[in-house]
Amino acid sequence: MTTQRSILIVDDEFGLAEMLREVLREHQYDVTLAINGRLALEILAERKIDLVITDLMMPVMDGAELANAMRNSDGHRKIPIVMMTSLPTAIPRSSGLYDDVLRKPFTPEHFLETVHACLTTAEHRTQGD
Amino acid sequence: MADKPTLPRRHPTGIPGLDLILEGGLLASGVYIVQGPPGAGKTILANQACFHHAANGGRALYVTLLAESHSRMFGHLRRMAFFDERAIPDRVYYIGGYSALESEGLDALVRVIRGAVQKQKATLLVVDGLVSAQESSPTSREFKKFLHEVQTLGDMTGCTVLLLTNAERSSGFFPEHTMVDGVLHLTDELSELRPLRHIRILKLRGSAPVRGLHSVRISDRGLEVRPRIETIVGKGPLAEGRVAAGPKLGFGLPELDRMLRGGVRSGSITMLLGSSGSGKTLLGMQFLSEGLKHHQRGVYFGFFEHPDAVLAKCQRIGIGGLKEGVERGDLLIVWHRPVEGVIDELGESLLNAVIANRADRLFIDGMEGFERAADFPERISHVYSAIAQELERIGVTTLYTTETRELFGREIEVPMTGLSAATQNIMLLRHVEHHAAMRRVMAILKVRDDDYDARMRELQITDDGLRLVDTFTSESSIVSGGGVSNDARAKTTEP
Repeated sequence: MTTQRSILIVDDEFGLAEMLREVLREHQYDVTLAINGRLALEILAERKIDLVITDLMMPVMDGAELANAMRNSDGHRKIPIVMMTSLPTAIPRSSGLYDDVLRKPFTPEHFLETVHACLTTAEHRTQGD
Repeated sequence: MADKPTLPRRHPTGIPGLDLILEGGLLASGVYIVQGPPGAGKTILANQACFHHAANGGRALYVTLLAESHSRMFGHLRRMAFFDERAIPDRVYYIGGYSALESEGLDALVRVIRGAVQKQKATLLVVDGLVSAQESSPTSREFKKFLHEVQTLGDMTGCTVLLLTNAERSSGFFPEHTMVDGVLHLTDELSELRPLRHIRILKLRGSAPVRGLHSVRISDRGLEVRPRIETIVGKGPLAEGRVAAGPKLGFGLPELDRMLRGGVRSGSITMLLGSSGSGKTLLGMQFLSEGLKHHQRGVYFGFFEHPDAVLAKCQRIGIGGLKEGVERGDLLIVWHRPVEGVIDELGESLLNAVIANRADRLFIDGMEGFERAADFPERISHVYSAIAQELERIGVTTLYTTETRELFGREIEVPMTGLSAATQNIMLLRHVEHHAAMRRVMAILKVRDDDYDARMRELQITDDGLRLVDTFTSESSIVSGGGVSNDARAKTTEP
């Protein structure tokens, strides 16, 4: 029996977040939305999340701050993070803040492939621990 | 001694022409509405101002409310020269405010904006989609309260605010207009199938804006505003006295220079009026060619016949030195397609060419090109008048052609009020029938405050250049198209 994967989408642009939620729900993912990093941290404190997909620029707490807070938290350090951005140069991958990047605009197929790959990698990592 | 009043600090938008209209830019901590229909250029204007602001050390925050997504916006902006991806997110920051607005209302939106302004240390704030905030307001009072809070935020942080909204609403009263420092209205309309964009400053506190409509162009360079040319040029003192006392500039055609007693006055404006094919363009090019021989720099500004064809024709018939002048940089050729641009753009192009090339002589081949680019016909007279005054102020000696409609009619109509009033000299060129042959005839109709030879001459275009010949010594009524010999006239009028 496979357990349903839980994904948190963090984006202040409600239209894109809602569309991504529908795409993921069609593939049996459990999806929660947050409109900024602070709300995302509150959700992470309340429930188990397998993957965080976050926008970079947001009010209150942005994607980089959210990723930084997660990496410094014992409970969330290992949760994979996908950064969504229109700006490839905004945060270098070498920062280690995120596991993968989705360059906007992207197709639903590419989105699903990225989600699947991140979850699989994280699963292998957990099994190796 | 009383202290001088300090001028309010302004942030230039960096949009060519707009800062001129705004008396230098947007007031620091001022709140402005930018309104207009979709596609009029509001988003480009605001983004351009943001990137200019960031390039000059400021920090900009762009909040969207049910406007296009940021990635779509970036997709459009990427082709614009001002868009600098490196400025995002450190100096230009984009957030969406609609989720907060929808879930918790205007108060939440204000909190989001306030928090983001403080966090980003923004000195320029754009709220794109103000209409969403208005539609989310249960009463107009709530909406006014929202605007008041935005205004207070601007006051407390020194942040300048641009509120973008669609102007097409059913209500003719816009309460928000009473609460802001300025209202910039963008329009996008069709004029005889030609798209025309304009900007108009409806309100500007603490400034004396250049009022009325100004043309707007959107290109890969971003938004460019062309203030109505008659509002910004031709305001200096007139140079009438200087023109009247100036030296004379010849055409290099001995007979014509004799008729003009040496040439036209330096700094004067001369109209070459004539029918199609009567030799106007060649006479103008002859004027430029003669200038180059005397190390006088020139500008050719044309609309209709392509300059390559004109130069080739000149070379063929011996009007020399033009191509060499172009190669040396002494002669600048500027050509606009006759349906291209707007009149203000053409006027600016003309004046820039004259100034940039430090021209002594200017030849405008086909003033009608300006008329075709006029957005409002009633402006033409004012535009011509302003351009004429500016050319006179610069001191360039100008020749321009304009076409008469009738080839052979007896009536001679001098068109273009505004420019003709500022024209010191008028020469007429036309075709006449003479001894069963068509000939080109030239006559001087007017030379202001100077003597001239008013007799008609035949203008011959030969392989050795232009020649003026005394063909019509015994005729009258040539200029008005007749060509009747004096002997014949005497016989017919005898009792």
